[in-house]
Amino acid sequence: MTDVIVPNDMWDDDREGVIVSWLYLSGASVTEGEVLCEVMVEKAQSDLLSPASGILTIVEEADAIVSRGQVIGRVD
Amino acid sequence: MSSERILTVARAGREAVMWEMENDPSVFVLGEDVFTFGGVFGTADGLGEIFGPERILDTPISETGFIGLATGAAMAGMRPIVELAFIDFIGVCFNAIANLAAKHQYLSNGQVKIPMVLMLGAGGGYNNGAQHSQYLLSTLAHMPGMVIVAPSNAYDAKGLMHAAIRSDDFVVYVGQKKVAGIGLLGSPIKTSMAAVPDEPYTIPFGEARIVQEGTDITFVGVSWTVHQCIQAAERLEAQYGVSVEIIDPRTIVPLDREAIFKSVSKTGRLLVADEDYQDFGFTGEVIAGVVERDPTILRSPPVRVANPNVNIPFSRPMEQRVLPTADRIFEATVALLGL
Repeated sequence: MTDVIVPNDMWDDDREGVIVSWLYLSGASVTEGEVLCEVMVEKAQSDLLSPASGILTIVEEADAIVSRGQVIGRVD
Repeated sequence: MSSERILTVARAGREAVMWEMENDPSVFVLGEDVFTFGGVFGTADGLGEIFGPERILDTPISETGFIGLATGAAMAGMRPIVELAFIDFIGVCFNAIANLAAKHQYLSNGQVKIPMVLMLGAGGGYNNGAQHSQYLLSTLAHMPGMVIVAPSNAYDAKGLMHAAIRSDDFVVYVGQKKVAGIGLLGSPIKTSMAAVPDEPYTIPFGEARIVQEGTDITFVGVSWTVHQCIQAAERLEAQYGVSVEIIDPRTIVPLDREAIFKSVSKTGRLLVADEDYQDFGFTGEVIAGVVERDPTILRSPPVRVANPNVNIPFSRPMEQRVLPTADRIFEATVALLGL
């Protein structure tokens, strides 16, 4: 099992971000390195890439407020 | 890549642009802030890094200049994609659009093609004021010489973009800002996101999609208003058991009048929802296309839900009142059916 984590270097201070959208539903099979979801902080949007290949489970849905380092899903 | 991914409209359209650029060296993008910023509404996000400044061209704020330039490039055999973030500013380049891009194929008796795409950002709902919130599709659709597409979801956005770039005709590709699914305008509308195949595919111009089948009334929407129709239909079904058929024309020009007529023949009622100004516009055109063929198929007067021909207010509550929202569609249907 690999956690899907908001990378610490996605932005560089302690502001909160928001998950704009997931590009997969829970239960979808995903491949390492492809875009899993879009995260926005202020008005800047970034792509979050899959850390592994496997079956995705979403923990934090779209619209959730997230912090750097937070677990928002996992890939099994 | 997996086939289970669900894309936003902006991402799906961009994927088509990227594929065409990788496979056809004559395709290039130009417009304000496309190279350094990826387009105001993300239409060219990331393309600058991949294709460089010679194929993703930042232009000055000179719409007449760069749309004229693109038209010339298209006449010479290139396939330019022009980004104009706000449809509101077609006014400053109307000659290039209406008298150059839309006419040279006709004026040359077809000897010159205009394989050019004009991407326009359109629509309101963000307190951007009267000069940055208009829809204006009908202003363009009034004139001959251009194809106009207005996707409502990611699957159509990709297929229509491939079709637009490959077409030898001048195509206006209208991206509804609220439908694009970019974070700074709020989280994407759920029904605008769709499963999108990795491989390229095209959607033919002039072919409507039946979003849902129904028997009591036909709703016709464009892009964002398709989703307002879906939300209104859900409430009408839940509260009153009304069965709504929803038609998404997908392309405004050419318009699939046959699909609309067929649907109204079945339901006997028609409501058209459009974000543009009501008078002399799309809503009236759709209705005319039905009644001039056979007015007897209508069981009730047709209904228009559009901007009531007022300039779009800056104030949020006032702007919400002029938008063709699900609430307005719901209320208009309730009044029509006497529920």
